[in-house]
Amino acid sequence: MNAKLSFLLSAPFLLTAGIAQAQDFPTKNIQIIVPYSAGGGGDTVARIVADRLGEELGQQINVVNREGAGGEIGIDEIARSDADGYTLGVFGYPDNFVLEHTRDTSFTFDSLDYLAAFDDMPMGVFASPNSQHSTLEELVSYGQENPAEMIIGESGALGLLHALAFAERSDMQITPIRYSGGGELMNALLGNHIDLASTSSMSHDPIVDSNGTPIGFAAEERMEMFPDVPTFKEQGLDLVMGVSRVLVAPEGLPDDVREALVTALNEISTDEAMIANFENAKIPYRYLDDSAVNKMLEQSNSVLMPVIENNLDKINGN
Amino acid sequence: MDIFSILLNLFTPSVFLVVFAGVLVGIVVGAIPGLNGAIGISLLLPLTFTMEPQIGLLLLGGIYMGGMYGGSITAILINVPGDVVAAPVAMEGYPLTKQGRAKEALYYSIFSSMFGGFIGVLILILFTPPLAKLALQFGPAEMFFVSLSGLIIVGALSGSFLKAAFAVLLGLFISTVGVDMITGSERFTFDSISLRSGISVVPVVLGLFCFAEMFLNIGKKPSEQVQYRDQKISRMTVVKDILSQRFLVWKSGLIGTLVGLLPGVGTTLAVFMSYGDAKRTSRRDVPFEQGNPDGIIAAESANNATVGSSMVPLLALGVPGSPTSAIIAGALVIHGIVLGPSLFVNRPDVAFTFLYGMLLTVVAMTIIGAVGIKYFSYILKIKMEYIVPTVLVFALFGAYSLRNSLFDVFIAIVLGIVGAIFKKIHVPVAPIIIGVVLGPLIETNLARAMRIAGARNMPLWEYLLATPLSKGLVALVVIMLLVVIRMRHKEKVAAKEVKNA
Repeated sequence: MNAKLSFLLSAPFLLTAGIAQAQDFPTKNIQIIVPYSAGGGGDTVARIVADRLGEELGQQINVVNREGAGGEIGIDEIARSDADGYTLGVFGYPDNFVLEHTRDTSFTFDSLDYLAAFDDMPMGVFASPNSQHSTLEELVSYGQENPAEMIIGESGALGLLHALAFAERSDMQITPIRYSGGGELMNALLGNHIDLASTSSMSHDPIVDSNGTPIGFAAEERMEMFPDVPTFKEQGLDLVMGVSRVLVAPEGLPDDVREALVTALNEISTDEAMIANFENAKIPYRYLDDSAVNKMLEQSNSVLMPVIENNLDKINGN
Repeated sequence: MDIFSILLNLFTPSVFLVVFAGVLVGIVVGAIPGLNGAIGISLLLPLTFTMEPQIGLLLLGGIYMGGMYGGSITAILINVPGDVVAAPVAMEGYPLTKQGRAKEALYYSIFSSMFGGFIGVLILILFTPPLAKLALQFGPAEMFFVSLSGLIIVGALSGSFLKAAFAVLLGLFISTVGVDMITGSERFTFDSISLRSGISVVPVVLGLFCFAEMFLNIGKKPSEQVQYRDQKISRMTVVKDILSQRFLVWKSGLIGTLVGLLPGVGTTLAVFMSYGDAKRTSRRDVPFEQGNPDGIIAAESANNATVGSSMVPLLALGVPGSPTSAIIAGALVIHGIVLGPSLFVNRPDVAFTFLYGMLLTVVAMTIIGAVGIKYFSYILKIKMEYIVPTVLVFALFGAYSLRNSLFDVFIAIVLGIVGAIFKKIHVPVAPIIIGVVLGPLIETNLARAMRIAGARNMPLWEYLLATPLSKGLVALVVIMLLVVIRMRHKEKVAAKEVKNA
């Protein structure tokens, strides 16, 4: 027992002595900043991942909610933190990209180092319970005949962008109305105060339960979770847009710290208990490692950029 | 699912343990200035991930219930409401404390909370589906009129009308700071990222009520401090008195339940509405804001009643009606429980255990409150020189913890100084809060109504008055306006008579 005890006591000194640099990290608690309030999808992803990643790294990981200004405040803080691996962030891409190109933010896309992505949640359009339209075709022909008459509710940076892109690509005018959160938006849709809602696939179940109709998802292919909902693509509308929760660090991590984080993330990515938690939360799990995530983001940026540029005046409220 | 198996699920040691623990945590965070049930729930949220869903839910529900009551303790004893919803309680409860009737005020608060809590939860159990349908009827037009009626309540509060009007306008102004909800344009942000996210209600309340009160206490002589008195008052006397105020407690509970249904408007409005209504109908000789227990009964029963009703849209439709129920929804999602009509079909065990378990949280709150009051009132024995720094530390912590933001701390301190000055020159601060809460609701809903009316090619007024519900609400607004004008007039006449006599 004495031998064990002395080993335990000396272990920290052995490590700090620099025998193996990579194992130095982490030596203290890590915090993950989430730029939204507790309880939403991004927060849920952060908490599921923090739990498992903390076990893997042998340190406690605390989730800190820094909401405000549509995510700008929290993302700004992640970008400005020390790049030592002890401050990480989880948020829904492309919030940062949209913010950067629609406001005067102090961070840019390259202020962050993207280490992994955990899900792929397409945006979708849902019709209200009283709506006469249940397919994209009916909806678009009505919308083209009655310009700006249909009202689409949206919330969040991506909600508006998706609504605008949806109208633009289907060649019709619709009137977007902003809601402060998914709950408020759903209330308006289910109460038939608006005709359509632009929101993520996560809202599918409560909307369908109350007799709303999913018109389509902006996904490449049908979702495993909701096989009955068609994509826009198969209905002849070229629109793919979604949220992907990414884990980031401030740009400029030391190589050994980055290596330790990436290794740990790859290690937990196949953990069945963690994946089950994602499925429970109705979040479509899709892991991308550090090189795959950067490829995905680059491609997605090039798709989003023209949509943002074409609609900049509408986004800024004119 | 039959009632017997629900009871079997409920009466287990683990349920009792989490319910009591949750309520206790709720009361403590509720009582501490700046912390509230929502913060307590987000702190303990990770803990529930490993629990059975219904047990975890009851823990969170207990915190929610306890938090609604806890705020009244510090409001009554040291004039520092632990949360926005306890502000009216401070207005009536603290004067009672100054008269040496602290314990009595605390009994009024706990037993009114109990009645309110039961009303809200029972309505949740019995009428969830029809009430959820009712909540959905509230579109931009209806929300606009409801919020407008909230502003009229300011007129019912005491004091100079001009000063109250000034205060409510200041509150409305504060609420405009930040990125505009509907258009996305920036207002009064001066290129500051912190101002862009707006000024939230919590630091405003902390500043105006808590910091201001503590600043005013600094420099007070010991003799000016409220003395602890061991007042003899039996619990039954208070309960009997609450019930003898004819419909007051039932009416306030009902107001709390109905207003609590509305997403986003919720608790603050419910509390001030029933407080204003109690002032109109009170038959006691004691004037309001000088220790009229009816104010406590109305406010406390209303805020605990909102606990049950704010979960109606959550359980029935999957739409969270308040920030707290949004966090609870997040917890359910982790357990893979889909909210909405299917919940009662797919997981009746979770749904019904939770519903009936919420009755237990009311019982736990009443027991802890009624037994604890003796000890709570010992706070008055503590010298002010210890209370002021302690409360200030907690308040700083509370202002920071809401959004982990130093900017919020700064706002709270600045408004603390403003609040202290206002109290000296008798400008009421409650209307400022009402303005901050209702400003965005009035504005965004009117803007939405304008957009929808524009899209449908109809004049704005036609859209605003399109449904029977909105017509009814307009009538309500007009009636309230007339009542307030009559109340003001009566007060003026009464004041003149006093002068002449």
